[in-house]
Amino acid sequence: MSTEPRSADARTSFSFHELLEDGAYEEPLVANGVRCHGGFTTDGAYRSPRTIHRGPAIAAWQDALVDAGGSLIEVSKDLLPPQYPNVEQAVLLCRHGVRDPIVRALTVISVVEGFGAVIRDVKVPALGEILVEPIAGTALAHLDQGLLEAHARDEAGWGEQGGHKQMWEAARDLAFDNPKVPPDVLMRIMGRGGRRARKRERRFPQIDETLESMITMMANVLIVEIFAEEIFEWGKQVLSDETISAEPGRAAAMVGYIQSDESPHVEYLRVALSEIAARTLRTVDGGTIAGREVVHGLLHAMLSQVVRARPEEQREQTRESLAEALSGAASPRALQEEFESLDTPWTPPDRTGFEPSAADAVQ
Amino acid sequence: MNLATLLWRTWRVGRTGVYIWAIYKLPAWTRRLSGRPEPDLTPTHERAARAVLACALDMRGVIIKVCQAVATRADVFPRPFVEILKQCHDAVPPRDFVVVKGVVEEQLGKPLDALFSEFDREPIASASLAQVHRARLHDGREVAVKVQYPGLDALVDLDLTNVRRACRVYEYFDPQPIELLPLLTEITNHLGMELDFEREADNADRVREIFPPGDGVVVPEMYREWSSRRVITMQLVDGIKITDADALRAAGLDLELVVQDLMQIFVRMIFAAGFFQADPHPGNLMVRPDRDIVVLDYGLCKQLPEGFGMGLFELLFSMMTVNESAMVRAFTELGFRTADDDTEVLLMIARRMIRRSDTGRFEGEFTEEMTDELFEAIRENPLVDVPTDFVLVGRVFSFLSGIAHTLGHRANVLAAMGAST
Repeated sequence: MSTEPRSADARTSFSFHELLEDGAYEEPLVANGVRCHGGFTTDGAYRSPRTIHRGPAIAAWQDALVDAGGSLIEVSKDLLPPQYPNVEQAVLLCRHGVRDPIVRALTVISVVEGFGAVIRDVKVPALGEILVEPIAGTALAHLDQGLLEAHARDEAGWGEQGGHKQMWEAARDLAFDNPKVPPDVLMRIMGRGGRRARKRERRFPQIDETLESMITMMANVLIVEIFAEEIFEWGKQVLSDETISAEPGRAAAMVGYIQSDESPHVEYLRVALSEIAARTLRTVDGGTIAGREVVHGLLHAMLSQVVRARPEEQREQTRESLAEALSGAASPRALQEEFESLDTPWTPPDRTGFEPSAADAVQ
Repeated sequence: MNLATLLWRTWRVGRTGVYIWAIYKLPAWTRRLSGRPEPDLTPTHERAARAVLACALDMRGVIIKVCQAVATRADVFPRPFVEILKQCHDAVPPRDFVVVKGVVEEQLGKPLDALFSEFDREPIASASLAQVHRARLHDGREVAVKVQYPGLDALVDLDLTNVRRACRVYEYFDPQPIELLPLLTEITNHLGMELDFEREADNADRVREIFPPGDGVVVPEMYREWSSRRVITMQLVDGIKITDADALRAAGLDLELVVQDLMQIFVRMIFAAGFFQADPHPGNLMVRPDRDIVVLDYGLCKQLPEGFGMGLFELLFSMMTVNESAMVRAFTELGFRTADDDTEVLLMIARRMIRRSDTGRFEGEFTEEMTDELFEAIRENPLVDVPTDFVLVGRVFSFLSGIAHTLGHRANVLAAMGAST
């Protein structure tokens, strides 16, 4: 494929500073007393942080990719498992005063968003040397030139501006009136059963290890971001329920702002991974391999695993805290039965959409 | 304890106290009279620290523990004290087997051979408060028996009373910038914990509860039937010393994974469970061929207040995102106090720590250098009230960072919590 930019009028090269640049805001976003990133324009609309150039840049890279005959990676929405507990179940619990599982879930989300700070530490190898086709004017060329840094700042905040971590906390605190955070949040995040450290499995040992690690991380974050769509919808519906939320409008709006901030993340990861998929990679032994084989291979492996494991993990985590929380309810058994009757059955699809093809094997 | 011992120990502490007082105060008076400026006190600190070390090595036992405690408080004591008193190793010559046998039989109420089918006369380790012998129960189980030296209670009372008197006299005549009495109280509390072996066994059981079987952590089983307040009989476990990189490699272990496992163990205890073994020096950690990590010695364990783990996480997080107001909030939540709520001091401390990181920004690891810098900054700003829990946690991460670096890796706290690339 050709990797020339689509036209001379669409800029495809940006400086680090530009990709981190904010536009002017009429009013900053203050979330439950904490100054956060982003803000409101004169017409009152929320504008995400660091998008004044980053937004057009991502669009230009996507256009260039498509114009050059490439295609953008598309993760099917059918792969998204429903959130557990679902909206009806969450609202039911809160109506019965069992708020801990929901407060805990929101806190876990905020902490995990904070972990996004480490995205800036992703090692980007010398892509110009590893990829056969040039990368000038692509998202790939901007990963360590502002894209990863912007992503890290959006998630965890930077300086005096809070990021998604603080915004989820604010949504929780607004809706539940500054609730006491259950003390076992960090234990839940680390997993009660503990985790032994494991070497990252190498699926493509023939390519540069740092490159495989980078693609794996990007694919993983992309999946998390896409799956987060379900969480945003869940969050907006639960927190906007007037029967349980102290600030339905503001709490749900906060989740909406986070949701709109995440859009550039999904899009830059899609285009960067698609750019790799559209190229040829040099292997460590001097040969080559189609980028598509690597990117699709890794996405397929991760999606196959996560689509099956995630729903069960979520249930496992919630079940443990639920039993404890329900014991304090007026009629725990009746509540438990009603809770279970509202469950959303879900069966993971058979295909991920990234199955290895015969074409990959003959490269 | 006989009168001679009592008098000698009192005299030994008193003599050291007078000597230290003299080397600081006499030159200061002369200087004041002659109008000379304040000199660099480092050489004086060194002389004083050496005098304390000599006293500890003479008297052993409790005073050694006091010195070891001082050596962990770089936030309070001048650097020469910390460096010199670090030499106050725990390893001391063992006591005669007859003494050990007497303690075991007196404590467990039976003759030694009724309790154990084998009991090695030579200890496998000896320290300032106790020594450990390999033994075998009648049912065949191999055990380690930790036996406290006799008469320590009386010695502790006497030695601490003497040290306390010396501190009082000092503070009466010359109020010190370092508040010695509260520190001594803290040291006494910790010492009391270490001398109570029943509590140590309880601590081990609590830590074992944090790690379900198969979780990669070995906490030796405590055999209560053969234990008391002065004797602990526990499962004998072996392994490779955690800092012996060659032996670990020879056993086919991946050092990076060993470091990650180690970090996860301590991060889980501190951040998630709020109860931790607070003395993870390399002598207390071993690795087994299946990569399970053996954690020994539960004499010093700490229960953290509720919310402390989250507060600590917020501090790390705010440092990583360079959010200064969040740093101040986190410091305050953790119990740091300044005399007039001057948050600038707290900010200055955080900034100094970040500057001492390898990259000039905080990436999730409390290195030894950062911890040293933290304590140094606190010591230079005595208006800061530092929570003891924080000091202990800082010391733990400093140990872990040292071990990680010895094995050629980093001790990343956030990665151990699950944030990794």
